[in-house]
Amino acid sequence: MVRTDKNGQKGEFKKTTPKDIVYFILPFVSIGFLLLLWYRVSSITSLFPGMVQTYERFLLLLEKPIMRVPFYGHILASLKRVVIALLAAIVVGIAFGTLIGWNKKCDSFFGTVFNFIRPIPPLAWIPLITITFGIGEFPKILIVFIGAVIPIVLNTRAGLLSVEQIYLDVGQLFDANRWQMLWEVAMPCATPAIVAGIKTATSAAWMVVLAAEMLGAKSGVGFLVTRGMDANDMPLVLVAMITIGVIGALLGVITSLIERLICPWMRIK
Amino acid sequence: MKSETVIDNRPVKVQVSHLTKYFGSLHVLDDVSFDIKKGEFVCVVGPTGCGKTTFLNLLTKIYEPSEGELRIDGELADPKKHNLAFVFQEPSALPWLTVEDNLRFGLKIKKLPKEEIERRVDRILKLLGLEEFRKAYPGQLSTSTEQRVIIGRAFAMEPDLLLMDEPYGQMDIKLRFYLEDEVLRLWREIGTTVVFITHNIEEAVYLSEKVLILSNKPATIKEELKNNLPYPRDIASREFVEMRKHITEQIKWW
Repeated sequence: MVRTDKNGQKGEFKKTTPKDIVYFILPFVSIGFLLLLWYRVSSITSLFPGMVQTYERFLLLLEKPIMRVPFYGHILASLKRVVIALLAAIVVGIAFGTLIGWNKKCDSFFGTVFNFIRPIPPLAWIPLITITFGIGEFPKILIVFIGAVIPIVLNTRAGLLSVEQIYLDVGQLFDANRWQMLWEVAMPCATPAIVAGIKTATSAAWMVVLAAEMLGAKSGVGFLVTRGMDANDMPLVLVAMITIGVIGALLGVITSLIERLICPWMRIK
Repeated sequence: MKSETVIDNRPVKVQVSHLTKYFGSLHVLDDVSFDIKKGEFVCVVGPTGCGKTTFLNLLTKIYEPSEGELRIDGELADPKKHNLAFVFQEPSALPWLTVEDNLRFGLKIKKLPKEEIERRVDRILKLLGLEEFRKAYPGQLSTSTEQRVIIGRAFAMEPDLLLMDEPYGQMDIKLRFYLEDEVLRLWREIGTTVVFITHNIEEAVYLSEKVLILSNKPATIKEELKNNLPYPRDIASREFVEMRKHITEQIKWW
């Protein structure tokens, strides 16, 4: 139907349909169900902390620091480890991924070793890293780095190997040298894959940092979980878990925004 | 067929002599020789599978000829020295670059001065009427607009030799007509030497100043046909139809 919008522009405009409303409501419904489930479980057994208890523990946490670190300090401690490890993983991962994705000799030289190291979970490195570097900040960041660097290397390599021949031909016909082929053709072409690798790496890093903190740290959200477990403070465990979920989701949103910024041409497909 | 002699004083730009190509024992091209004048528009037609693409790939130096040579301005053709541009059959705009950056692509690789790049890009954008799409990405454009960008990208190089391999092969007739006029306009404005491969005989007669008719494999030049019909050409005129029929007759392989 032809209508006039508020600027006096004539045309056919999208109307809000019942379907749109359903799509808008469904996420809230699912959260509602989750809360309901929580409520049911906590009312059956008193060992499982209820919502009110958890909320009160949250308020207490805001007032009373644990290990002299306030609540936001724990979040920042975890985020700091993630960010440092991620930045290092991005630099090293893209460089190494490019090396093995662009140079066949390097790929066959490093490929086997990399394929052997790749399936080892980052947490399996903890004993070796602990006896080598102790339990300071560096070993934690190193563990997170191991978890984050692998998806970046894999995606960079795969992205470079799947550059379409026609784009390479275009570069060739404009007489690009090997360096220009890499920077002007292959890298931009592989960018969406690399960014996807960084997204995977970010969520991996967030998981690994919490696990690393649970195994010996004096700050961080993962430490709060361990602390709650040791002190039999289940509401604290739940507060920490919810924090982990919220921050993880926020990190996902942020990386998606960065993806749209770096790959504007992907938005329109 | 009536052939008028029009004096063509343009210097020879491309000189192909005794071009021969074997793939193993498969004889694809046999002793092909011809000249292209500076700024000339040459169309190449031939029966299916006669080696048109091989012919083109020899000109771009993607393949080395088994025998014979290709000279540009009297020197052996060398992609490092000579400026060759190429329009592929399939859309080949770089999806991560905007329209204007696609036009800049080859110029930047050649490391031309910035002002020169901007001058050429602006000119091509204007000539092709692409100004409104300047900041658009190829994915946002229709196939024909994308093909115009690619053609513009090739012309922006102001190449010594522009090779086009059935650039309108995938398009419907309306777009073809439109883009044929477009390519003629660019050619006239910029004065590029063009070799245009097509399987569409009408297109060859509509565009070219000279038609090279290739024979069946191993391909030789069956006929080198001057096309002096005045532009813009009337596809319904008697001379046009005659020439079209003549070429059709020539490439019949049955």
